[in-house]
Amino acid sequence: MSAGQPPFPPQPPRPPQPLGAPTKPQVKALNCPSCGSAITLRSFQQAVTVVCESCHSILDAKDPNLAILQQFKAATNELKPMIPLGTRGKLRGTDYEVIGFQRRSIFSEGERYDWHEYLLFNPYKGFRYLSEYQGHWNDISVCKVEPTLTHSLVDHASYLGESYRHFQTAEATTGFVLGEFPWQVRVGDAAVVMDFVSPPHLLSYEKDKNSGEVTWSVGEYLYGKEIWESFKLQGQPPEPVGVFENQPAPSKVNLKQVWGTFLILCVCLLGLLLMEDVFSSNKEVFTATYQLASGAPKGEASFVTDVFELKGRESNVAIETEANVSNNWIYLNYALINQDSGRAWDFGREVSYYSGRDSDGNWTEGSRKDNVIVPSVPPGHYYLRIEPEGDSAHPAIGYTVSVRRDVPVFGFFGWGLLILFVPVAFLTFKAISFERSRWAESDHPILKTEND
Amino acid sequence: MLAKLYLLYGFMVLGGIGTAQYRGWSLDHINQIKNVPRSIRDNPGAYRSIYSSYHHYTGGK
Repeated sequence: MSAGQPPFPPQPPRPPQPLGAPTKPQVKALNCPSCGSAITLRSFQQAVTVVCESCHSILDAKDPNLAILQQFKAATNELKPMIPLGTRGKLRGTDYEVIGFQRRSIFSEGERYDWHEYLLFNPYKGFRYLSEYQGHWNDISVCKVEPTLTHSLVDHASYLGESYRHFQTAEATTGFVLGEFPWQVRVGDAAVVMDFVSPPHLLSYEKDKNSGEVTWSVGEYLYGKEIWESFKLQGQPPEPVGVFENQPAPSKVNLKQVWGTFLILCVCLLGLLLMEDVFSSNKEVFTATYQLASGAPKGEASFVTDVFELKGRESNVAIETEANVSNNWIYLNYALINQDSGRAWDFGREVSYYSGRDSDGNWTEGSRKDNVIVPSVPPGHYYLRIEPEGDSAHPAIGYTVSVRRDVPVFGFFGWGLLILFVPVAFLTFKAISFERSRWAESDHPILKTEND
Repeated sequence: MLAKLYLLYGFMVLGGIGTAQYRGWSLDHINQIKNVPRSIRDNPGAYRSIYSSYHHYTGGK
């Protein structure tokens, strides 16, 4: 795991005690037996341990004298909770109060990765957890029923009809605690944790290393903005870094649907192509053979063809030139001229063909045929003005000029296919890149790099 | 939503191709000239093609 990547997600270490009959919210003020500081019990009957914010003594909340269970020394640079203890807010329609905070960590390849968990309490609804890692938040609660595990090439877990894919297995330790907890919390608690994801949900298995107790919890990805609004916190939530394991893809596009649409459009395109091939008249309206005399100086006198008629609607005209060139070229200045309107389409075409043999074997270059399509030519009477050119030392070159009306242009279909494909390719690339980032830090990276 | 937008985009592309075919458009660049003199038929050499200065390829491998 490298810096900036999501670590193992937060886990509620142990399930809270089942709630009995709803109790009236109560707050009890006590004093720390170690330092004398005031201690507030917000969940009162539910609290099992409570941590003194002043001296970091972990106290037995069930003991009327608050027996000291553990004392730990917090680093002076220990981060304060972003959501202060005692903050109340409405999360997804239910009022909760933040009563506990802990920092947990995993070690991977010699580096420590921390995340933070906030314990929320509502006297009628019980406990739930908010976890935060580098700006990524999850709303976590204990599973109502035990998920089922499926062992295959990649393990899966199933919960309430949803399948989750194994993401990572690691050992998590508790490094810092504050507030009260409905379980016997200790700094140094260790647990084996397994994560399964089905964005935006995650499913977490946790096995306490001391007691062997197993807990399953389910979470849903939340955006910091939602937390800040729920608890009316000042400022802005921290910007998320990287891609978290159950972070939903930013693009909601259904790739299967897009690819399906692409295939449908390809079929339509093919249909259009076949229609074009069938319904284009592609009719030859003129053909004639000429000869450029041997050794004729560059720029032989130009000439005009007989008049031919282009019928039908405004459509294209294809002019094909076939010349018996061999290791030489012929260049033809063409003008397709409307005899009646004086409109002309002016273009030059070269026909060249070279061949030979070298150390790589036989080679050829160029073609004895050339084809050009004149666009949108109205019906009428036309003729061609042709001005042939050749090399000064060329042999006699015979060439045939053919004119066809209303020919299919298959190049449009190639471009059409490309234009249809580009958005699909872009969306697919984006989705793959996102998923690759998601899984890069898992136990099942999509593509391993040299650094993995 | 994006899939629907893509479908719309696709139909626009197909419509464009259909229009291009029907109107007889071309991928080749052809220069169009208006009002060429009627005397070309009698005197073809009087017309100067704008492509006459084209530099011809005389290569081969």
